[in-house]
Amino acid sequence: MLKEKIEKHLLEVQKPSRYIGGEVGSIIKDKSRIDVRFAFCFPDTYDIGMSHLGMKILYSLTNERENYWCERCFAPGEDFEAVMRENDIPLYALESLDPIKDFDFIGFTMQYELSYTNVLNMLDLAGIPIYAKDRTDELTQIVIAGGPCVCNPEPLADFFDIFILGEGEEVNLEVIDLYADMKKQGASRLDFLRKAAQIEGVYVPQFYTFSYKPDGTIEKMTVAEGAPEIIRKRIIRDMDSSYYPKNFVVPFTEIVQDRASVEVLRGCIRGCRFCQAGFIYRPFREKHADTVVNETKCLCENTGYDEVSLASLSTSDHSEIDPMLTKLLDYTVSERINLSLPSLRVDNFSESLLEKIKKVRKSGLTFAAEGGTQRLRDVINKNVSEEEIMNTCRIAFEGGYSAVKLYFMMGLPTETDEDIVGIAELANRIIDLFYSIENRPKGRGVQISISCATFVPKPFTPFQFEPQDTREMIEHKQKLLLDSVKTKKIKVSYHDPNVSQLEVVLAKGDRRLCDVIYTAWKKGCKFDSWEEHYRYDKWLEAFKDCGIDTAFYANRRFEYDEILPWDHLDYLVTKEFLIRENKTAHQSKTTPNCRLRCSGCGVNKKVGRECF
Amino acid sequence: MFLIRVRATFEKCGRAKYISHLDLNRCMLRTFRRSRLPIWYTEGFNPHPYYSFALALSLGFESSCEILDFNLNEDISFDEIRDKLNAVMPEGMRIIKVAEQKQKITAIAKAEYSFSLISGDTERLFDAVQELIASPEINIEKKTKKGIKTVDIKPDLEILFCEKADNSVKISMYLPAGTQTNYNPTLFIEALKKTTEIPFEAKNIRRTAILCADNTVFE
Repeated sequence: MLKEKIEKHLLEVQKPSRYIGGEVGSIIKDKSRIDVRFAFCFPDTYDIGMSHLGMKILYSLTNERENYWCERCFAPGEDFEAVMRENDIPLYALESLDPIKDFDFIGFTMQYELSYTNVLNMLDLAGIPIYAKDRTDELTQIVIAGGPCVCNPEPLADFFDIFILGEGEEVNLEVIDLYADMKKQGASRLDFLRKAAQIEGVYVPQFYTFSYKPDGTIEKMTVAEGAPEIIRKRIIRDMDSSYYPKNFVVPFTEIVQDRASVEVLRGCIRGCRFCQAGFIYRPFREKHADTVVNETKCLCENTGYDEVSLASLSTSDHSEIDPMLTKLLDYTVSERINLSLPSLRVDNFSESLLEKIKKVRKSGLTFAAEGGTQRLRDVINKNVSEEEIMNTCRIAFEGGYSAVKLYFMMGLPTETDEDIVGIAELANRIIDLFYSIENRPKGRGVQISISCATFVPKPFTPFQFEPQDTREMIEHKQKLLLDSVKTKKIKVSYHDPNVSQLEVVLAKGDRRLCDVIYTAWKKGCKFDSWEEHYRYDKWLEAFKDCGIDTAFYANRRFEYDEILPWDHLDYLVTKEFLIRENKTAHQSKTTPNCRLRCSGCGVNKKVGRECF
Repeated sequence: MFLIRVRATFEKCGRAKYISHLDLNRCMLRTFRRSRLPIWYTEGFNPHPYYSFALALSLGFESSCEILDFNLNEDISFDEIRDKLNAVMPEGMRIIKVAEQKQKITAIAKAEYSFSLISGDTERLFDAVQELIASPEINIEKKTKKGIKTVDIKPDLEILFCEKADNSVKISMYLPAGTQTNYNPTLFIEALKKTTEIPFEAKNIRRTAILCADNTVFE
């Protein structure tokens, strides 16, 4: 039994309750009655992975089936990994404490490019061959991935047997059902993959090969084994009838999002041109207010959480936002539950809404302005005017807030020095506004925090063609911003451009990057998204060893007529639409949101749905 | 306002021993909420459910006698309170008894602990333990808020039994506990490590009773 071996060393490591399971809400089954065992792996630590809503949905959904058992698995922290390697403890799942190498499916959710090396490390810790080609012909150990990064899974193609495109609620079970059937028939891994590739939303990368032109761009893609030329992502048609968990696993240790979470809508009507989520999660679908209220009650009662948050890309875009919040607050206030509302947009942040939120709790206000000037905000289609930002800040200050956090991006297409100085100027005008308000909060100064991320162009956005600024350009802009800020009332923080560079290469890369990721991992790279673990020097060595030029992916404009590494994946938005939006961006013209006017992204047309 | 004061005795065993004291606080809050018991909230600016643990338990220790005090707004039978909580407690945690709060927390004077020392050489380890127990003083370094200070735990240490088993030495002892002095059995184990070269490992450390100065069980 692994349990004894684990327990022998558990008190030597930080937060041991992360490694032993037994949490309220975790699902234990009798393994002698199980046909398929699924290890749901999150390529980061427990504290982060346990906060992920998608895992909670798919965990509960799979476990609704009596003969399937889905368990959780996370990347161990550095200290526990050392213990595992020293004492031959293979990576195990938290429910049974059984090694995941004996499971039928090893499923990863890919949320962030900088977690790729963690996947390799986890496979290695599990004792599973890292390259798909090295796995047995037997039907077992199917390594599978889903999540937003899978919209361009090519840099991971060599490591996975299957990618699931889009929403997993239906297709996951279809794949597991097929596996269960074929396992009984004694089929081989290849037999299974061949049949699985016929399921909509299933991409089996080993059936696709690429050739490249002398200039490095893709020449053509060849498909084998009768797999489809184009793989279309899956969607859930109706959010009200789609599965939502009645319970969560409630961790003992504090996690990043330690609360109940209820999804209120999927997709986004906004079309901000830099935002991948805004395009790959289309079409826009809402849950009815009553569904949201019922799910909230159910989750709070079963988990005992005293805080619930509404999850979506833009909660205030819900068509029933006011009645929904009124009903929710009736419940949460009487039960002494905190309601938290992330993802509220500046432009429809009404006074009545703010009043309602204030009833619950006073916390900081955060706005994503993204661009420092109106021209740049028009380019990126962040349809927020300065007037609206000021208006919202006024309401906030009058309501007793004195701290505002503003998010910006740096290195956006067409950006000039003027746009960077504009960030500081905007913050200055917010300070002036604060002091011009008669009934501003007394006794406190105003505090503006500016958080500046480096723009990373992502697949399936109108900016997928765009180059990223070079490090020199970003460093110049960072210095310019710091020089433009002349008061201590404004605090500036920004991202490491070296991290953003790796992010774009992995986001827009092709299959030739698989070996780079492997090499970097071999050199010791893991937890790349953790500042203290990121080893830029090792990554540079890995690129050099593999003969890959980062600028080809990061700093080159991808042509409209070029075959992109993700062109064979259909995320419903058409490439014509993305090209059209890219051109509109360069004319500094905005596109209205979907409720105001259809911009012809093609999503609902393809799946036969009405928009609004 | 109607209010009843309740004292629950619970065990914390198995995997639950890895729940830290800080995490246990959060865990109990959620357990109360799941139980839907009418727990009393503090009044004031930031009302929160009132409950408190008599003693903190070290991470990794098991216990069969933890004490949890809380108040309820309604009169509910002790058995019902116990059953409602046990229906929603995490694995390894179980309410043994719910009763009224007979004594004040300040009446707690000591706690009883048992543990095993696993070794390949139990004979010699047993002798080393005996020797340590018989020594006139057992000085240990204890971390306090003011820094590290040397303390003699010998005067407060009461050995209940010390026996040789197949591959271990089993020990049970009283140590001071409560609002004044708290000694942890790991202090004794550390002292032993300093006096003997025989390798051993302490296992199954368990708090088995919380007592008053006259050795009666705290209630």
